[in-house]
Amino acid sequence: MISINKNKGTAFRSKSQNGSSNTCRQIRTWLHKAISSRCHLGSNWVQNHIANCPRCHRRLVNVGRVHLALSAMKSQPHKLDLLMRANAQAIGVLKHSLRRAPKAQKLRVMLPEPKLFERCSKYMHSAANVAACIAILLLMKIGIFSSMDTFQTKGQKVIEQYYASQVGEDLADEVFSA
Amino acid sequence: MFGKAVSYELIWDFTVSGTVDERQRWILSAMQSHGQELVTMLWRILGNEQDVCDAYQNTFLQLAHYKGGQKPEHIKAYIFRVASNAAASMLRHRVVEKKRLSTAIVTRKCTISPVNELDSKCLQETLRCYIAQLPGHLRNVIMLRDLAELSYAQVGRILDISAATARVYRCKAIQLLAVWMGREREERI
Repeated sequence: MISINKNKGTAFRSKSQNGSSNTCRQIRTWLHKAISSRCHLGSNWVQNHIANCPRCHRRLVNVGRVHLALSAMKSQPHKLDLLMRANAQAIGVLKHSLRRAPKAQKLRVMLPEPKLFERCSKYMHSAANVAACIAILLLMKIGIFSSMDTFQTKGQKVIEQYYASQVGEDLADEVFSA
Repeated sequence: MFGKAVSYELIWDFTVSGTVDERQRWILSAMQSHGQELVTMLWRILGNEQDVCDAYQNTFLQLAHYKGGQKPEHIKAYIFRVASNAAASMLRHRVVEKKRLSTAIVTRKCTISPVNELDSKCLQETLRCYIAQLPGHLRNVIMLRDLAELSYAQVGRILDISAATARVYRCKAIQLLAVWMGREREERI
């Protein structure tokens, strides 16, 4: 009996804990939404302030310069044989047995290769087209288009009946025949 | 007798080299799997091919001698940390060298003009100098996140911090770099 009571107690406690954690999460989400809806960079008062405050203006310009410099660093390409040369130089200081390994020979002539995702990205558009075609074929096979027609005619009939009961059959016929 | 001894020695040498080869083959595998990313990161940090090769060589030499030839638990983390440290110390050397030759540089210093504002080389060099002066924890995050283009989770794993901390460090690093770059710009004006 005692153990049942104990279990009940823990179950109640864990339920109340779950409830409070859910409330906490909800409040957190609500607060986050409320703050981000008022304080994002695109909001009017922030834009007005930036336009009139020279200090913020300067700060944003400086941050922009840092980002510009970082993107310039990233966009600067290196020579294609750099990896090859770096590998050869690094292998040159390793142990004799490693230097003579077949893998080392392969590394000495290794060229940079684009990642799998980058290689596949050029086929992305055609893959999307093929997927769309397959989806349409599947929908036709399932018969969703014919059910859509049935749904439409039945819906029309229901509305027609509604109009007939509300405004009279003559007027409903006139509306739906047109 | 002598001939026999020589042949035994040769067999011994062959077996020893064979075991070393087997034991340390993971270095070549690491080079194959992480080499490209590493070279890209070093190139972005240093911007000089010879320096990239030197830092790369230094990294793998340290990897080969890690605890008497043992394999580190997280090879990628070890390689990236060593490489970024090597690159940072090279950058610092460069800054010191520049300061030493400051009289020569003052005459060549970029003056403020619309052309120089968009001079990417000038911007990059300035940023490199300031990245080298950042505190270690901020510098590592900037190098791994922005120059090696690793995710925050990966950066956190490499530096043994949480992804959220990595985010905060990056934000602080950008703010600090912006302040320094702004100050430098004002000095030039």
